[in-house]
Amino acid sequence: MTAAIEIKGLTKSFRVYQKPEGLLASVAGLFRRRYRHVEAVRGINLTVTPGEFVAFLGPNGAGKTTTLKLLSGVLTPTSGEARVLGHVPWRRENRYRRRFALVMGQKNQLWWDLPAAESFRLHQHIYSLPRTEFERTRDDLAEMLSVTHLLQQPVRELSLGERMKMELIAALLHSPEVLFLDEPTIGLDVVAQHNIRAFLRDYQQRRGVTIVLTSHYMIDVAALCHRVVMMGRGRIVYDGSLDGIVERFGGHKVISLHVNGAWSPELLSGLGELLSFEPPRARLRVARGDVPAVLQRILAAGQVLDLSVEDPPLEEIVAAWFAAERSDDGPSRRGEEV
Amino acid sequence: MRTMDSRQSANPALGAADGGPIGPSGPLRYVRVMAVFARNSLVRDMTFRVNFLINVASSISWVLMNLGFYLLIFRFAPSIGASTGWEQWPFFAFLATGLLINSTVHALFMVNADELSELIRTGNLDFVLLRPIDTQFMVSLSRIDWSALGNFCVGLILLATALVRMNYLPSFLECALYVFFLVCGVAIYYSLMIALAASSVWLGRNLSLLDFWFYITTFARYPMEIYQGRFGAPLRAAFTWVIPVLVVVNVPARLLVQSVRPSSASDWFLAAFAVAAAIASLAASRIIFQIALRAYRSSGS
Repeated sequence: MTAAIEIKGLTKSFRVYQKPEGLLASVAGLFRRRYRHVEAVRGINLTVTPGEFVAFLGPNGAGKTTTLKLLSGVLTPTSGEARVLGHVPWRRENRYRRRFALVMGQKNQLWWDLPAAESFRLHQHIYSLPRTEFERTRDDLAEMLSVTHLLQQPVRELSLGERMKMELIAALLHSPEVLFLDEPTIGLDVVAQHNIRAFLRDYQQRRGVTIVLTSHYMIDVAALCHRVVMMGRGRIVYDGSLDGIVERFGGHKVISLHVNGAWSPELLSGLGELLSFEPPRARLRVARGDVPAVLQRILAAGQVLDLSVEDPPLEEIVAAWFAAERSDDGPSRRGEEV
Repeated sequence: MRTMDSRQSANPALGAADGGPIGPSGPLRYVRVMAVFARNSLVRDMTFRVNFLINVASSISWVLMNLGFYLLIFRFAPSIGASTGWEQWPFFAFLATGLLINSTVHALFMVNADELSELIRTGNLDFVLLRPIDTQFMVSLSRIDWSALGNFCVGLILLATALVRMNYLPSFLECALYVFFLVCGVAIYYSLMIALAASSVWLGRNLSLLDFWFYITTFARYPMEIYQGRFGAPLRAAFTWVIPVLVVVNVPARLLVQSVRPSSASDWFLAAFAVAAAIASLAASRIIFQIALRAYRSSGS
């Protein structure tokens, strides 16, 4: 099977104007400008097969959105290659543009002052969709997302969640084969997030479209995607299953104990980081490699009624990794000043 | 929530080879999209109708004040310049021609050119770039400012009045040529405007460049004969041959105004030049627009 998306050595760098603080410095900036060179995406390689649902995970500034913009032809790369459905995105061919869609949770593509139905009608003509088919798709999508009664209401009077649903409908009217979703659930309440997720899962399963999603919410990723691509500072640092993240980034395991009175907090602290101690229960954080030795010591000491070894929650692992990425963000992102 | 029918599971876009057009294609599609733009703009204007009426009223009163000012001038002078042929009613026909061109540009392109700077600054140009339709078309015409048509009507009335006062009925050919040169004029103005707006890609923000459009086109609001002498001649040359805004109103207006009609070979040469200038401006603006698109950085996330 040919790949839906194929990326080789894709790189995008920007020159960013550094605006100095203060009036005098601003005036000086009129004559001599300082720029910072930011490498948003650094030579990434990726292949996505048709029908896959892939998540891009990473802290702000990791290059997720830039990658999506490159793949949708909004941006031209500095170097490297990419093909989506056999097309080079930044050639911006109409033939390609009919076959994919991009939804951005932070941006609005509908006419603000008009009902969404009017924007949909415009899409019908832009994409040359036959009327009956267009109307059927629109009505089906509106029903699936429970927004049929809102089609005639001006977009500016919709809630954020309702607007996001309209954005999705607008993106799917022409039945794209590839869908790029940039943080589609950002800022939504829990119920709205859930509805959008349920819709996306259902839609993807039925239509078999290829979807690439970026999100900050682990729950989105866990609910929707089997494959996770983690990005950090413009590079892909992990590409695999969700469970694999634990293997790769979860450096620790959590040992839960059911002990009797012979155990004291001091004694437990000697074995690893004591997370909690509420007799008879105790939780210990132990480096992955130390687990066998620690278990041996616990068992040798005896007086243990029950014992389990678990991975820490995925959310925690990813959060810790994000934090680590951000804390040493400085030097590598600063780049050279020119 | 309802699940999707099985009949929909076959992707219709796959049905058409390589996702080619399914409904109407080619020019017809552009006409239809244009019609939706026009309709949506009208619906939007009608939603804010008080604002719409104020816009119409204020722009018409601005034009009427200007006319009053020129009427005042003609109480003191029989014509603009001695023996130029631009007496009161011929001059008013000239003004009407300018009004027709300006209001057309205003109605079709002004809001969009303004908006383009904003689209570039905010990164919302992204969505335009995704559509399987010419980006320049989409950017240039997505909003129509219907309130500018008030001035278009004033222009028509003024033109009719001037022709009646001059006691002159143009032939069909003259009317057709007049409309043709109006279109050329609109094309030149449009090209200048969209090229300036597209330069926002490099400048980040340049509403001041759009002001520049107003400054330049101010020169085109008067008959070219007034640019004479040490200061006038270089201006006339620059705004005819370099940035050809002087031919925009002058060429069509001369067709209808008997006293200054094209008679010599050089006059006809100017008319031919206007056509060439329109084509060249459109081509240049197209190239600038394309280069700008390649340099677009898509700000925001």
